[in-house]
Amino acid sequence: MATAALHAHPARLRAANWLRTLAALAVLAGTVAFLMLLFGRTGERIALLMCVNVAAVVALAAFCGNTGIVSFGNGAFMALGAYLSGILTMPAALQRSALPDLPLWLAGHELALWGALPFVLLAGLAFALLTGSAISRLVGPSAAIATLGLLIIVHSIGVSAREFTRGSQTFYGVPRITELVYVLVAAMIFILIARLYRESRWGLFVRAVRDDEDAATALGISPRRARLVAWTLSGTLATVAGALYGHILGAFSPASFYLGLVFAHVVMMIVGGMSSVGGAVVGVVAVTLLQNAVRNLEGGITLGGISLPEVFGLTTVALGIAILLVIWLRPQGLVGGFELAPGADARLLERISGTARDAPAPRPVSTETLQARDLSKAFAGVQAVAGASFDVPAGRITGLIGPNGAGKSTLVNLITCQYTADAGSAEIGGTRLTGLARHRIIENRVARSFQNLRLFSGLTAFENVLVAALAAGYRRDQANAIALRELEAFDLADIAAMRAENLPYGARKRLEIARALAQDPAILLLDEPAAGMNPSETSDLADRLIRIREDRNIGILLIDHDLRFVNRLCSHIVVMNRGQKIAEGSPEEVRANTAVVEAYIGRGRAARAADTDPAQQKAIAT
Amino acid sequence: MDQLVQQLINALSLGGIYAMLALGLAIVFSIVRLINFAHGEIMTFGGYGIFLSMVFGFPPVAALCIGLGAAVVMALAMERAAFRVMRGADVISLLITSFAVSEILKVLFQNGISARPVPISFPSAWSSSYQIGGMTIGVAPTASIFVTILSLGCLTFVLRRLAIGMAMRAAAEDFDMLRMLGVRANRVVAAAFAISGLLAGVAAVIWTAQRGSVDPMMGFFPVLKAFIATVLGGLGSLGGAVLGGFVVGTLEVLTQAFLPDSLTPYRDAIVLSAVIAVLLVRPDGLLPARSGTRS
Repeated sequence: MATAALHAHPARLRAANWLRTLAALAVLAGTVAFLMLLFGRTGERIALLMCVNVAAVVALAAFCGNTGIVSFGNGAFMALGAYLSGILTMPAALQRSALPDLPLWLAGHELALWGALPFVLLAGLAFALLTGSAISRLVGPSAAIATLGLLIIVHSIGVSAREFTRGSQTFYGVPRITELVYVLVAAMIFILIARLYRESRWGLFVRAVRDDEDAATALGISPRRARLVAWTLSGTLATVAGALYGHILGAFSPASFYLGLVFAHVVMMIVGGMSSVGGAVVGVVAVTLLQNAVRNLEGGITLGGISLPEVFGLTTVALGIAILLVIWLRPQGLVGGFELAPGADARLLERISGTARDAPAPRPVSTETLQARDLSKAFAGVQAVAGASFDVPAGRITGLIGPNGAGKSTLVNLITCQYTADAGSAEIGGTRLTGLARHRIIENRVARSFQNLRLFSGLTAFENVLVAALAAGYRRDQANAIALRELEAFDLADIAAMRAENLPYGARKRLEIARALAQDPAILLLDEPAAGMNPSETSDLADRLIRIREDRNIGILLIDHDLRFVNRLCSHIVVMNRGQKIAEGSPEEVRANTAVVEAYIGRGRAARAADTDPAQQKAIAT
Repeated sequence: MDQLVQQLINALSLGGIYAMLALGLAIVFSIVRLINFAHGEIMTFGGYGIFLSMVFGFPPVAALCIGLGAAVVMALAMERAAFRVMRGADVISLLITSFAVSEILKVLFQNGISARPVPISFPSAWSSSYQIGGMTIGVAPTASIFVTILSLGCLTFVLRRLAIGMAMRAAAEDFDMLRMLGVRANRVVAAAFAISGLLAGVAAVIWTAQRGSVDPMMGFFPVLKAFIATVLGGLGSLGGAVLGGFVVGTLEVLTQAFLPDSLTPYRDAIVLSAVIAVLLVRPDGLLPARSGTRS
């Protein structure tokens, strides 16, 4: 692919994203039209509920899909929205009989639905911020169970707070919405918001955190804040969806928002495909059709002379079986891991040409020096790093070599605060890095790559680099241009639209370096960038790194086991063994150092080699 | 003093049930990364085992044994039918699978037996009480404490001394490595499910003996509490699960006993909020499971 095509990538991505939004909207609108044409009034009623479910599930997926954490807390927000909107809009006379003990400040407002909406929105926002401050600290299954705890808490409050909710009795008198068009428009707005969020800065951040929390943190993204944003948006939307649901039901109880509803919504989300907005919409449509088909059987029917008995809960069983089948056969859901509609490399979008601007010039790097001073770290008695001190100045590629287990990667982890140092510190330009939160390291222009690949597997190559540039604080158009610059510098233009998990190994390795460089670092820590590469790939990588150093004057700390690669790039080499720095100097000095030779090939053989065989000695040294 | 001792016994009794359920969840989670939502249905099935064998005229003690067996069978059947094909799937898929299994089983219980509670009449001696030093103490809570201690003791023995127990602990640390060493994966997983089923069965026995009835939701609510307990203790940590169970049980009994009347309806909300507050300070739980990751 030529440069022109690469430069068109941001524009094509934008177009592809709009297509995907349109596809999700079209699925919804098409199904509504289908239901109304085929079933008339009944169809309209089904479509009404379906649209509310779309709103609720899209809200749920805004958190679950982007964070990868299943939440059961949606029911809690929906209950809040339904009861609050119900209380605010209820006719005053009816309210006096239904809720005689309602506190005065809430009573008798009799607002229009539109009037209640801002209050519902604000209440949802406040509640989401409050609960999110706790839940965003948790990940994985613990977070899922905490959201379940939230659901139980809100349910039990709903049952107990009789003066507001009539307890477990039916809460009635809520003005009803019967116009399909309002709910349809609402669902469409929800889809639009969820799509915009998913492709926005914070949507990309939280998806990066989902795919690899450590790597995202190293880029300067705060995982907690990213999850909090997702939770807050999801919760606020769910509160509004709950209000809508309440106005459609007209009468409900806390049980209406408990596990039954939550189960149905989670099923819808998983069946369609959790990681995309289009998936959520398709899931709701598929499950709605299934539910209505099965509901007709629930009352018991006669089929070919055999009368089936009335089975209570048949729809639940059908939902259960549907989800089991989907998980077994298509674990990513009906839509799969992608959004509906093609990506930026589609044939359809080829005619969109590039208008990408030039990348902003990298901030100048002059005299910044990363100083490691007496860094030490022990793991349960094993002294992994013991008092290591060295400098990584700008404009120089500094090698860090040593046998396996010498403490090289631990050292990088200490500098970037992945581990807490037992003693010592790392500083740059007078600022102490040690003790900072991990996501603040990049603010001091220190970036890193990882020994084991840590890419964001669900994002495309372009998005991987884009997210790094955004995390470094660039505006979207600048970040786009920077991402293009780095992809070009590392020969990744052809595969910009491919997902990172589908890339070949060498490309992934290069992508990780491109991602780190997109943050415009002064010092770059590369942990075995050439590991697993073949000789021509290694040599190509060396050329690119040399060019980067010459063009931008950044300082690189290079860890690698390929000594030929290290010798070619580095003018200064630090050697570690068993946690300690055993030598430091130019490649020639290090090569001549007996301690270094001993560390690599053992004492006896080193001595013999030095005595007898100059050729072998040379082989060791290069 | 009198009241304090009684509440302590209640706390230990309820906490013991949560601890056993949480431990069953934790054993399965630590090995196959499954958060088993259907664990409650294993307990419910144990309860129905007791109910049905009483209906068919078995003596109470035999009925309790049948109930235990029913729970184990249910756990094994669940593993074989639903979870074995999902071996190695991600946590979310497993969780949703168990969620679906749980919902389906509840409907089957409702249609197959009854949607309403069915009574179980145990000998009246079981629900009586005795006097020690002027204090009245129920037989059932006392028995339940002993049964809990006995079960946890046996389990510790199995996990520490028997080969299959050691294999299970090894599987919790690194399942793939264990398989490479030639240990049969299916046997270890089945053993984990059997133990979790047995613990759920013991919980079912104590629960039904105290409540005297079984309904389709019987196991669901205690297991919800047990979930919270496992997270409080540290997900995947066995000791943490037991600790978490006792903490949740104790909090529940304490709030029940000492909260002013106007606040008692909010008991669950208060207990769970307290647990979440603890998680704010210790996101990995009270006794976190060990894990080793390299960057």
